[in-house]
Amino acid sequence: MRSKLEQAGQPMIGRRSLCALVPLIAGAAQAQTAGASGKVSVVTSFSNDVTGPFKRAFEAAHPGVTLDIQNRNTTAGVRFVQETRANNAVDLFWASAPDAFEVLKTAGLLEVYRPNAQGIPERIGPYTINDPEGYVTGFAASGYGIMWNERYTRANRLPDPKEWSDLAKPVYHDHVIITAPSRSGTTHLTLETILQGEGWEKGWGTVKGFSGNLRQITERSFGVPDAVNSGQVGIGIVIDFFAFSAQGAGFPVKFVYPSVTTVVPANIAIVKNPPNLAGAKAFIDFLLSTQGQEILLEPTIRRLPVNPAVYAKAPAGYPNPFTGSIGMPSLRFDVVESGKRYAVVDALYDQTIGTNLDSLKRATKAIGDVETRLARRDNSAARALLAEARSLISAMPITEAEASSDAVTGAFSGRAGSPRQAELEQRWSAFAREKYQAAAAKAAEAAKAAG
Amino acid sequence: MAFTLVALFLLAFLVVPVLTVVTVAFQDRASGSFTLAHFGDFLSNDLFRTSFLNSLYVSLMSVVVASLIALPLAYFTTRFEFRGAILVQTLGVLPLIMPPFAGAVAMGLLFSRTGTVNLLLGDWLDINIPFMEGLNGVIFVQSVHYFPFILLNLVASLKNIDRAMEESAQNLGSHGFRLFRRIVLPLAMPGYVAGASLVFIKVFDDLATPLLLNVREMLAPQAYLRITSVGLEDPIGYVISVVLILFSVLSLWVSSLALRGKDYATVQRGGGGLARRRMSRGQAVLAYAVIILILMLVLAPHFGLFLLSIATIWSFAPLPDGYTLAHYTRVFAESSQYITNTLIYAGLAGLIDVILGTTIAYLVLRTKLAGARWLDYLAMSALAVPGLVLGIGYLRTFFGVTLPGGTSLAAFWGIIVLALAVRRLPYALRACTAAMQQISASLEEAAENLGARRLSVVRRIVLPLMAGGLAAGFITSFATAAVELSATLMLVQSSNDAPLAYGLYVFMQSPAGRGAGAALGIVAVVIVGLSTLLSHLVAERGGGRKSA
Amino acid sequence: MSELLAREPAGIRVEGVDLSYGTTRVLKDVNLEIRPGEFFAFLGPSGCGKTTLLRLIAGFNTAERGRVLVGGKDISALPPWKRDVGMVFQSYALWPHMTVRRNVAFGLEERRVARTEIGPRVEAALKLVGLEGMGERRPAQLSGGQQQRVALARTVAVRPMVLLLDEPLSNLDARLRVQVRRELRELQQRLRLTTIFVTHDQEEANTVCDRIAVMNDGVVQQVGTPMELYDHPANLFVAGFLGTANIMPGTVLRDGGGAAFEIAGGTRIPLPPGLAAPDDARLVFRPQDVSFLPPGADAGGRRLIEGEITHREFLGASIRYGVRVAGAEVLVDAPHMGGEGHLAVGGRAVLALDAARVKLLTA
Repeated sequence: MRSKLEQAGQPMIGRRSLCALVPLIAGAAQAQTAGASGKVSVVTSFSNDVTGPFKRAFEAAHPGVTLDIQNRNTTAGVRFVQETRANNAVDLFWASAPDAFEVLKTAGLLEVYRPNAQGIPERIGPYTINDPEGYVTGFAASGYGIMWNERYTRANRLPDPKEWSDLAKPVYHDHVIITAPSRSGTTHLTLETILQGEGWEKGWGTVKGFSGNLRQITERSFGVPDAVNSGQVGIGIVIDFFAFSAQGAGFPVKFVYPSVTTVVPANIAIVKNPPNLAGAKAFIDFLLSTQGQEILLEPTIRRLPVNPAVYAKAPAGYPNPFTGSIGMPSLRFDVVESGKRYAVVDALYDQTIGTNLDSLKRATKAIGDVETRLARRDNSAARALLAEARSLISAMPITEAEASSDAVTGAFSGRAGSPRQAELEQRWSAFAREKYQAAAAKAAEAAKAAG
Repeated sequence: MAFTLVALFLLAFLVVPVLTVVTVAFQDRASGSFTLAHFGDFLSNDLFRTSFLNSLYVSLMSVVVASLIALPLAYFTTRFEFRGAILVQTLGVLPLIMPPFAGAVAMGLLFSRTGTVNLLLGDWLDINIPFMEGLNGVIFVQSVHYFPFILLNLVASLKNIDRAMEESAQNLGSHGFRLFRRIVLPLAMPGYVAGASLVFIKVFDDLATPLLLNVREMLAPQAYLRITSVGLEDPIGYVISVVLILFSVLSLWVSSLALRGKDYATVQRGGGGLARRRMSRGQAVLAYAVIILILMLVLAPHFGLFLLSIATIWSFAPLPDGYTLAHYTRVFAESSQYITNTLIYAGLAGLIDVILGTTIAYLVLRTKLAGARWLDYLAMSALAVPGLVLGIGYLRTFFGVTLPGGTSLAAFWGIIVLALAVRRLPYALRACTAAMQQISASLEEAAENLGARRLSVVRRIVLPLMAGGLAAGFITSFATAAVELSATLMLVQSSNDAPLAYGLYVFMQSPAGRGAGAALGIVAVVIVGLSTLLSHLVAERGGGRKSA
Repeated sequence: MSELLAREPAGIRVEGVDLSYGTTRVLKDVNLEIRPGEFFAFLGPSGCGKTTLLRLIAGFNTAERGRVLVGGKDISALPPWKRDVGMVFQSYALWPHMTVRRNVAFGLEERRVARTEIGPRVEAALKLVGLEGMGERRPAQLSGGQQQRVALARTVAVRPMVLLLDEPLSNLDARLRVQVRRELRELQQRLRLTTIFVTHDQEEANTVCDRIAVMNDGVVQQVGTPMELYDHPANLFVAGFLGTANIMPGTVLRDGGGAAFEIAGGTRIPLPPGLAAPDDARLVFRPQDVSFLPPGADAGGRRLIEGEITHREFLGASIRYGVRVAGAEVLVDAPHMGGEGHLAVGGRAVLALDAARVKLLTA
């Protein structure tokens, strides 16, 4: 039972009423006029640097409309929309992480809208740009890659990395930082891309290879560019626009897309029962218009437009996913598979790498040290032991098939008859710790064998 | 009557919202029926056991280090004729006002492996001190951040010791550190324990610092990470929240047991505070050196923040590449509403806290109401409630409540004030309790004997005498509310209604916003610092009236 | 056991001490000589500087000028903890976090007295004040009198050169006060400890002290035994502060052979020969030096003054009457014998003053 007033927009009790000593209850509620104009409320995880230019341009293009930006991190944003569903006051949800939209869509909290923008292809990389069912619209794309601080790498004499596997080299030990995939939808997709691109076994080997060189695993996605920008950590695994906007702000950082990467759309969606449906649609249309797409090219934003034509206006060297300069066109990305094992992959990373980072690093360091010595004087026995140690590190507690089995995924959704999540996690963590200790022991043997 | 009102307030704005969230901890996920299995998982899980022990270790060590920082500051400024004592005590509160994100970035720029200090140490001595790594890093940052709790309480306690207590010891041949250790410190113990328990609980329950230092193997970050996984309802996160709340109440109970019968302040007559001695030249030089060193350490984050706020680019270098005022221009152009909002929100929250704190303290100390002590514990348990849990609880509880005019109660800016008030109530409550403990009940009895009613006794006798404690309570609530983010982030509905911490968060999410975020942080520190100084001055004047 | 606590008594000299708090001069050129083993009092109204002087000797105040010697040694520059001057505080200042025993042992521990010696000395001190067996109690569990004894035991346990008592009886009730002051005297005699006793109560000072320094307004007015002070006050302040005195304004008249003092109403009182009579002097006499002249009785050489009885106080051994004489009030003590009547308030009376007992004093 929502009143007309609520639908018209979110009335506010003016803060200033307090200054004017008007009693709180009697505070003047000022309703705003309804219609295609009025206020458009957006919950977004994007920073002011991104939202600001859009807000200005949109409001200029639609006089009388205000874009009300509510900055929230993705988690808080999703929570907010979920908790306020009964009395929704939000028109749009605007964020990068595809998983956040997936959650909202599954919970029935999104509205279908198919904008009639021209010139936007169906796919970008392995992904469809828009949700096939029409709930979510892609407006920009971003790729994952490696960002580094030039001053840091120069001071520490680190070569410029190119591929994920480079980061597994001993020279990078303790110089790399990443966001936990459970905390960042884009890191999760990178992980999933590596697993699908290289296969479950080999993929985890690659992931654990560079993870053994991590300094830290952060819990917020901006923690990675923050650390690299200030030079606290040399190399970060980040989404491209973090690096581009840092360059735009003047930080001494570089960025590269490895050959196995993926381009992920950043999205916007209308929240179910929006107070201002017309305004919400107008903003999505604006995002996809040529004018809106060109704003993406601004130095502080630097996202990849989904309209290929806009790249003509981009500065030289601007990455273009439509020309194959980034991404793996050959990659067949299985969205269904990925969706099924989403929480499982995150938990596997957290348990086998996150909580056991110290023992993983110890084993990796031990292997790296022997390897450096073998590079000078080879020894086949030692090499064999190292290979064993590496396969111990790579070992996973469950197979690919198990990861998407009902028994395992059920634990994460609380399905009856499944083991509880905490039980599985305890098992996986113990498994990894044991393997890493064994790997460290093997490396020690190898060190002896190498003499 | 007062009891009922306070109880209702806590029920409505703390208990119910939190319960709506943490019930998940006791539910079987498939059937929704009651179960304790999740607590079993918690106990049998290595990670959680390690986390628990780590949290315990870090909290205890933080209390030790924070004491080492606070003791000299409190001692020198209360015991000697010390020029700038008020300034030192004001600066000593600043660390509490560590703006979220900005403070951590500044700390990183100064103390991380490639921070200013280590870059310089590396150049000169070829050493690298891991200030910010692992559990030690958490202890370092937490001690620097929370030692003011000990400082504030200890100073209040020291000022209240009968000076004859110390003089009689001197007369018997004791002096210097032995005198401090054997007489002064034991007498100041109630204040010290109040401060130390606050530090302990706060560190035990704090998630921001470990998260920013990427330490996950502690309880509070574990709870946070599990609660905030997108799209997952992992009950263990709520289990940990419940454990945190229970543990906080437990440690309060233990500390109140430890203090039973040690309510020294009211036992003795006389009072008047310790005599301030003049220092010899050598002593003065030493004392100032110690204090300046400590202040440099604890204010380093603010200094770093200031540098960051005027820096063009600061990356992998001891100092920024260049300097600019552009960030301040940007902040004042874009975000002045944050500043007014913050002053109003934090000010109101501080006021509510002082009123609630005084009422609860009065109920506990002056009435024999059986439930009063539980009211105290209940209010204190707010320390352990993660801001996010409170935020979600508020949305869940109040979003359906519609205000006259059609706005949802949860969308009304006042709800942010209430959330801030509930989260910071424990600070004000401890300060108010300490202040009231130091007022002899006979003063009130005298007033009642002269025919004053209860309320007018409180207004005319108790409150004026408590001025110092009330100011301390207000300051801690106000200052920390001014930079609180976690509940705020959940409840802000429009950037027009947003407080400063939210603006900071928004800035700090982009590389170009780092300087502006720092500038906003500095604005926050300056505003809160000035308010603190003002309250100190007001309190001193109140104190002067008291002794007259 | 008290020999464990006794030591050779020391004298105290205070030489030319000046002390100010801000612009207020609290002590003005104070000079005192206190003999070894003496029980000495600083007596004066509150604010006279007596406690300040005591704290100066203990080292808690610093003089701008002058010095303090104890046992012939200048201690002015020593901090309190090196002075070896025992002080008992008005509030007792017992440390609530320590037991009685720990309180008493504190000073000995601070002086690094051998462990084996501390025990017996603590016992001796507790025995001396009659608190054997109370060692394990906390101060809060003791009565006011007991707390005071603990404070005393704590101080004498360290065998100080001199003992300073700051209003030691002020927190006790009247009955206890009499008992404790006697005990204090006894203890002081037993230990032959030079003791300074600060009080505003003349009765306390008179009953226990060998000599008294009367202080007012930061100045030592007079030093002497209680009797000297009473019988021969040096000035109006001392006369008024010790015991009760009638102080009457008037004029000094000189004519050839002798001097006389004329009070208001014209009565002239001849002054004993040789009595100094400065112009601003006032006439001073004690209530017992004046009596009512029964109607028709012979004045016997005494001076007669007429007045009206304004009030009456029954003091037990005597009755004190207030008599208004030419605008001033004169107090008269009449001995009270059982069963005798008394004079009515409002009646007229004739007073006989013994001219040999009067004094002329200035401020």
